[in-house]
Amino acid sequence: MEESTSFFCNLGVLDSLSDDGVQEILNTYAQFSAATQALLNGIGRLSLRSEFVAHVQSLCKHGLESLILNHFLRSLQENFEINGASEFWRHFDAYENIAILNTSNLPHSEEEVREVLCKALEEISSKKKCQEEFLSILVHALQSSRYDLMEKGRQYDSETEVVRLFAKYQLLVSSVLMATLPRHFPDLLHWYFKGKLEELSAIMAGELNEDYKFQCKDDMELDGKGRISSKSGQKDFNECYQLEKFSNIDKLVKSIGKVVLDLRNLGFTSMAEDAYASAIFSLLKAKVDSLADDDYRSSVLEPIKEWIKAVPLHFLHSLLAYLGNSAGNNSPFHSLKSSLAPCASSFNSGVDTPEGLIRWQSRLEYFAYETLQDLRIAKLFEIIVDYPDSSPAIEDLKQCLEYTGQHSKLVESFISALRYRLLTAGASTNDILHQYVSTIKALRTIDSAGVFLEAVGEPIREYLRGRKDTIKCIVTMLTDGTGGNSNVSGNTGDSLLEELNRDEEGQENVGIDDDFHADDKQAWINASRWEPDPVEADPLKGGRTRRKVDILGMLVSIIGSKDQLVNEYRVMLAEKLLNKSDYDIDSEIRTLELLKIHFGESSMQKCEIMLNDLIDSKRTNSNIKATINLPSQTAVDLKESVISMNDLDATIISSNFWPPIQDENINLPASVDHLLTDYAQRFNEIKTPRKLQWKKNLGTVKLELQFEDRELQFSVAPVHAVIIMQFQHKKSWSARSLAAAVGVPVDVLSRRINFWVNKGILSESRTADSTDHVYVLVESMIDTSKNVSNNGNNEDLMVGEDEGEGSVASVEDQIRKEMTVYEKFILGMLTNFGSMALDRIHNTLKMFCVADPSYDKSIQQLQSFLSGLVSEEKLELRDGMYLLKK
Amino acid sequence: MAAINRYTDNTAPANPVVSPAKQSLPPAKTADSQSVLKRLQSELMALMMSGDSGISAFPEEDNIFCWKGTITGSKETVFEGTEYRLSFSFPNDYPFKPPKVKFETGCFHPNVDVYGNICLDILQDKWSSAYDVRTILLSIQSLLGEPNISSPLNTQAAQLWSNQEEYRKMVEKLYKPPTAA
Repeated sequence: MEESTSFFCNLGVLDSLSDDGVQEILNTYAQFSAATQALLNGIGRLSLRSEFVAHVQSLCKHGLESLILNHFLRSLQENFEINGASEFWRHFDAYENIAILNTSNLPHSEEEVREVLCKALEEISSKKKCQEEFLSILVHALQSSRYDLMEKGRQYDSETEVVRLFAKYQLLVSSVLMATLPRHFPDLLHWYFKGKLEELSAIMAGELNEDYKFQCKDDMELDGKGRISSKSGQKDFNECYQLEKFSNIDKLVKSIGKVVLDLRNLGFTSMAEDAYASAIFSLLKAKVDSLADDDYRSSVLEPIKEWIKAVPLHFLHSLLAYLGNSAGNNSPFHSLKSSLAPCASSFNSGVDTPEGLIRWQSRLEYFAYETLQDLRIAKLFEIIVDYPDSSPAIEDLKQCLEYTGQHSKLVESFISALRYRLLTAGASTNDILHQYVSTIKALRTIDSAGVFLEAVGEPIREYLRGRKDTIKCIVTMLTDGTGGNSNVSGNTGDSLLEELNRDEEGQENVGIDDDFHADDKQAWINASRWEPDPVEADPLKGGRTRRKVDILGMLVSIIGSKDQLVNEYRVMLAEKLLNKSDYDIDSEIRTLELLKIHFGESSMQKCEIMLNDLIDSKRTNSNIKATINLPSQTAVDLKESVISMNDLDATIISSNFWPPIQDENINLPASVDHLLTDYAQRFNEIKTPRKLQWKKNLGTVKLELQFEDRELQFSVAPVHAVIIMQFQHKKSWSARSLAAAVGVPVDVLSRRINFWVNKGILSESRTADSTDHVYVLVESMIDTSKNVSNNGNNEDLMVGEDEGEGSVASVEDQIRKEMTVYEKFILGMLTNFGSMALDRIHNTLKMFCVADPSYDKSIQQLQSFLSGLVSEEKLELRDGMYLLKK
Repeated sequence: MAAINRYTDNTAPANPVVSPAKQSLPPAKTADSQSVLKRLQSELMALMMSGDSGISAFPEEDNIFCWKGTITGSKETVFEGTEYRLSFSFPNDYPFKPPKVKFETGCFHPNVDVYGNICLDILQDKWSSAYDVRTILLSIQSLLGEPNISSPLNTQAAQLWSNQEEYRKMVEKLYKPPTAA
């Protein structure tokens, strides 16, 4: 606007110009140019200035004001380019490679660079100041001439014009610098700020530690008598110390502030900001890295936040305050005012925190959250391995994720870690399950809705389904810690039982929540607490309510059906109960009750009956014992027998409800057999019409073996007892005759007798007949001491191996048995329908094989079973159709 | 060989298939279809597990009330080496009423007509709910070897029965093995 007006003025002036006038103008202009040149080159004679002013004024009279300005500015620019910028940059030429080189390798140059930077900035600032002075001379000249020419009303406008002029100059300077900017300069700045900040951080860290120390001391001395005096003394010291510290910080901040201010004056505002911002961020990252490290046992989020407040924000606050002051008052005296005094107060009160600082804080915090989150996610696998010790880290991660919302990152990274590290052939099923449980627990903290857990758990479940021993391991995990055989290492069982317990309590709470009579207020609270599912939620996986995180449920979902789990549990329970010699089943009852809560009464019914059998057994057993003094009907003369009824305890089971029991016939010694018969007789008398059928191979026998020189006590299986009892009267047996006497096949005998051989009680020797062995009782310890000590180590191993022979048919055996049922069905349908395709067989089995055991196999399982039948030559596969082999 | 429920009754009606079976049982109780289903399932299970050779039956793909059965001719009878397909159709009030049983494969037999209808007393008036698929199959299997000549459905077969060698030739000539269902 202003310019266009002056342009019109010029046109008017041109019309009125005479030739003389033109000549005069040209002369004056030439002189003006020369004066300008001289002035800028620093030939600063006072007369030159007045001469310059005179030329300017005379040219102005001709209305050539804008021409003067343009020329002068161009001259300034040229001068600045030559003298200012190039010289400024020359300072930094030596450090061209600074960004490439590792800064830590050049500690000597660090200080140097700082000095150079400060010096260069100072130089160029003074240069600029000098030029500004010339500019103001020009401005003054222009103003005075204009004041002469025009009415006073214009003066105000011209003042804004001055501001504009200086802005123009500023732009000019920065554009010159920007145009000639060397590439390494931002790095240099970044490096400078980083160094300074590290220094500051070190001071601050010292302060923090000191503070902490003082606090500790205070706490310790709270009960002391001289508390007040010492405290006040300390306060003084503290204040002194603080003041010193403040002045240090003050100095540091000021030196930084000056650099920033200089840079700003040169038009490097954004570059300076970028530089110190990136320095702060890299410092923050380093801080987070060092704090977070590999320690998951403590929460680092709070320390990081504190550090953000203590160091970068403090710095920024001081800096902004400093810059703000110096920008507000151009006077250098004002800017030198301590920036820390107001800062400290405003910082603590937090009332007048500038808006920029708040923005900075949220930026820094977000960055810290994100950094920490990335760190933790990368190490999530280790963190979960350490769970629950690592729960502070999980808690941190939760907060970070709440802030950043990058859950999907977690899911992706964790799944790939799982695939790579856990779901491999080398990991034992138990470890995988343990990790799975920890994952559930840990992720439940992070995401209570279980959405991400769903995604993360799926690969684990998928993998575990492919493992054969999964069910067994799960059941062991569930029941272990309740006093079972602890084959599994670790406290997995305990934690799961605890989980069951907790869920039990949880259910009670849910019961209250679901109370039908909940009042409106409660309903409103519930409704307002509703949160939508995260966007990552799979809508197919059902609603939030169904996704209740239930560890047991998730374990069961691996197996597919709870029936399989219950079945496996039943087998284990049977094994456990049958091996009990007392009737103490409290822990089993407890486990069963817990399982009932989860799987329902009906599915645990058989197990319950098994336990009831034991309870009944106890009662019946004592009832029978009570009849001991009455003569039994069979009137067996028991007086001859060494063992009395008192030594016999029976477990009476209802075999329909127990898993199939291994039957192995053995010949009991006559006295024991009599005793059993008598017991059965008494049972029959009490419980008519029920009769006892002994499973003679089950149970435990407590033995005391008396030798010439020692007595030994054992708790063994009946077979072992029967074998050793044969040696009571005959010291040497051949394997074959012993097998006949015991009533088991020779191979079974030789397997069982190893128990005694390993104990050093029997010794084995070959006879002339190579197919037979002779076992001899070792009477004296002396011969065998060596033997025993040798075998001491692998004794456990042998016993363990022996225990492997369970008294209950294993689940594998049951599956084999189930499959024979299916085989009959398959043969039956193929007989009547000729040939059938795989899926039709599958469907037909599903349809009609519904009684116990019902058909619950997948089509793949069926296919492998069928191909087994084909290889057994029972079936034929022709064109995708199965038919009977004729 | 099991031959417990063999047909020995000579008082069977001359043409039992044409005349509707007399209601010798008390009026059928209202049969719960669920219990019929259960009964048939358990019969199937028992049949599958029994392992009797030469007899078999299985429900059709989608309907447990329709079964297919298979009988092979017993050894040392004229039917040795032959195999016959049967169809079973169970009424809704089974087992209070007998199933309808027919030969699907042509069978040259005095008590089987050209349509496959069977004249067997336990499938008509001598039916009892104690019978099941397995006993029916066993009965029909033994009927093959020991027909009731006095009340034939196939008079030609009845006449020829006395000459076992000729009968055997006739069976072989007429026998067409069952095809896949």
